[in-house]
Amino acid sequence: MKSLREHIQRDFSKNVIIALSVLLIALLIFPKFSSYTMLNLLTRIFVISVFAMSYDILRGYMGFINLGHAVYFGGGAYVAGILYNKLGTTIPVFILSIAVVVLYSVICALVMGKLSFKKGTSVFAAAMLTLALAEVVRNIAESWRDVTNGTDGLIFKVPSILSNRIFFYYFSLIFLIVMFIILRKFILSPTGRVIIAIRENEQRAEFLGFRIENYKLIAILVSGVSAGLAGLVFGTFNRFANTELLSITYSTNALLYTLIGGTGTLYGGIVGSIVVNVFQNMLLNLRSIHPIFERWLIFLGILYIAVILFMPKGIVGTLRHFIENRKVKSDNEKSSKTEKAPGE
Amino acid sequence: MASILKVENLNSYIGQYTILQGVDIEVKKGEAIAILGRNGAGKSTLLKTIMGLVNTRSGSILLGEDSLVGIPTYDIANKGIGYVPEDYGVFDYLTIAENLKLAIRNDTKDGDDRIAKVYDIFPDLRKASERMARTLSGGQRQMLSISRALVNDNKIILIDEPSKGLAPVVIETLAVALKEISKESTILLVEQNFSLACAIASRYYIINEGRTVVNGKIEDLIQDTQLQATHLGI
Repeated sequence: MKSLREHIQRDFSKNVIIALSVLLIALLIFPKFSSYTMLNLLTRIFVISVFAMSYDILRGYMGFINLGHAVYFGGGAYVAGILYNKLGTTIPVFILSIAVVVLYSVICALVMGKLSFKKGTSVFAAAMLTLALAEVVRNIAESWRDVTNGTDGLIFKVPSILSNRIFFYYFSLIFLIVMFIILRKFILSPTGRVIIAIRENEQRAEFLGFRIENYKLIAILVSGVSAGLAGLVFGTFNRFANTELLSITYSTNALLYTLIGGTGTLYGGIVGSIVVNVFQNMLLNLRSIHPIFERWLIFLGILYIAVILFMPKGIVGTLRHFIENRKVKSDNEKSSKTEKAPGE
Repeated sequence: MASILKVENLNSYIGQYTILQGVDIEVKKGEAIAILGRNGAGKSTLLKTIMGLVNTRSGSILLGEDSLVGIPTYDIANKGIGYVPEDYGVFDYLTIAENLKLAIRNDTKDGDDRIAKVYDIFPDLRKASERMARTLSGGQRQMLSISRALVNDNKIILIDEPSKGLAPVVIETLAVALKEISKESTILLVEQNFSLACAIASRYYIINEGRTVVNGKIEDLIQDTQLQATHLGI
């Protein structure tokens, strides 16, 4: 398989690399000129982007709809809160919570994967199973008041350095970049290619000699751990965790981010997260202008419907399709010119 | 010569329908065998049954000494069978190079050399190696599908109707390539295009209503117009 550098060269033209560099510099100096509100919005976008990318591994690359994906995200936030409350707000506790979140996510992914990826289970039945499992976890969180504070939610303090908004902004930006590189590397690996092959046709992958259940398990493990870590950072950012983070609302949010941005692209998760969060923020601000914006969810729903109707591949997917078509067209033109040349 | 694949009294079914009801074939090392018959005779089902994609009711399938009945498809593939399905079976969202690399099994040590070799057989694929498979023509997709079976040191390659849906000029190119491949590989070929099958195979089996009814040398079949008319409708 190709090296990451070769893939980056293939995927990113010089202009795109320049644009991304400018964007990165802009993001680095952003806190100097920004209000805390904007800083918080961007921090939220960075973290939610990781959650969306983790979902894209399953939905976009493997073709699996996980309606219980919030179990990792919410679980990550709860693990952070519980450990801070029980063991104190220190950096070693934060590091310990990373290890615990990884362990928690691995266990959840193994249970979810083993049950959902059994041969002969339909996509619909598997999706329902994931939903049921997540509901079980959410109910446990609601009932276990001593630890989770039930439906009231868990309020907690975080290590002082992590409560600094500017520090956390940079921390989240680095978290996003690192997770993007890891997930991209995973998708470009031979295992990642098999996962794409499974999405396209399980039977074809099987007659090439791949035991698909194992590859699906690897995908849900990677996706689950990424979502769990995103939840940990999200919980640390909000200093709060409630059972809504474990609910289907958050699972479908992840699905919508990837649908709007474009599935099977990784960047799509980031773009979807930006579009939804910025649009949501705008609608919330418009509430003071006209009372209709109190019903901001309706407008968000219209955005979802519009994107799915007019851009079924999502924003990045549509853009990529357009660029690929143009490239194939120009390649064909070039080759037809070359074929004509000898006779001319 | 040792037999690579031996199928005896094979019965298989899809749902409540019995498709194969007594198929016997034997393929020896280095042979190219054509499976002929009318539409719906069970030719493609035979290949799918060998690959474990269709359930076996009774009978035996031996790859060398190993029985293939009742084992999962991925294990069958890993035992050394390359399968080229009639719908090409390429992965649209991977490039040609990625499709080929994906097909290399762990036990294949000279995968890259083999890829270079298939690029020599199908130069069109080398030129377009970084293109996504979904942008390829039908002929190129078929070339890619066959190439994938060549990147491993397979004991036998099962090829299902390679000429299906292709233009005559593409079929000619494919025939030359398959003839070349048959010099080094053992092939079990299902084909409706009689002249293509004759150009590649040395022996044939005719399947009718799920049973092998006739077999012999392909030269004899070419001469026997009566047999062609009875079983192949030519």
